Amino acid sequence: MTLFVLLACLGGVLVGLSRQLNGRLSVSTTPLIASFWNHAIGFAALTCLGLFVGGLLPAGAAEAPWYAYLGGPLGVVFVAAGSWAIARIGAVNSALLIIGGQMVTGVAFDYISAVPASFWANACGILLIVGGMMVSRGRRKVDRPQ
Amino acid sequence: MTIDAGRNPHPIYFAGAFATGGLLTFMVHLNGELARYGSPLFSSWTAHGTGMVAAIILLLLVHRRRKPKPEQGLRAPLWAYFGGLSGAATVMLTSTTVNSPLGLSGTLALGLAGQVVFSVAADSWGLFGMQKRHPDTRDMVALGLVVAGAALIILFGRGAA
Repeated sequence: MTLFVLLACLGGVLVGLSRQLNGRLSVSTTPLIASFWNHAIGFAALTCLGLFVGGLLPAGAAEAPWYAYLGGPLGVVFVAAGSWAIARIGAVNSALLIIGGQMVTGVAFDYISAVPASFWANACGILLIVGGMMVSRGRRKVDRPQ
Repeated sequence: MTIDAGRNPHPIYFAGAFATGGLLTFMVHLNGELARYGSPLFSSWTAHGTGMVAAIILLLLVHRRRKPKPEQGLRAPLWAYFGGLSGAATVMLTSTTVNSPLGLSGTLALGLAGQVVFSVAADSWGLFGMQKRHPDTRDMVALGLVVAGAALIILFGRGAA
């Protein structure tokens, strides 16, 4: 169990590390080029892994709806936007806003697709997130040099 | 108290980062659908492959018109090209822990913790060649509120009618 807890935390660290490296690459190139290399290197690594462990083309894959394949192109925009943001507002603010955006749209998505959810937990969660984002933005108005 | 230009970024950067998070919701949903029909490895492999093709098309459309900026003369270090490796490893870790007693909510919540600790360290020390920005009390309060809200949604809000 401890191992799984550590692995799950490491997963989050790797998300941050990936954004940091892509951000550094985009400073020297462009966010879109950083996103291209992110996908190219990831694709090469996963191809090697798939050839090694097998199961790269599972049997049921052909039945997936066409729109399920749009996750990749969306990912290009996601990585480019993350690299663009981290170079301008830093790692803490990028993480804070990306997590906030993901949570708020995730709750909205669940309600639209009628996934059972706890209204009060979600409502309180969104209030805390919006409050956090306002605190983060508010400081910049106060500190603005005259 | 030090105030630098980086302290007052344009609001569009914040709106952009927030919208990026929204994009992640749809990406996770679509990749999850693909994993349901195939496997997590197939889903990630396909997403990286189609993403690479989409990036090439976008670069061909956009890049020809762009002149290189003078400040971009500094070459990126070799390790900066390996963000994708870290991303690919994330997929393997999370698809392992989702199928452990932690489940999806445990994986998401602990991943959140890992991301927050890393981002604070990254900004404090300017890790991996990025600008150093000391997170102040307000940053930490904002982060605490967002993480508390996200944890509430992940652990008690989703699928717990």
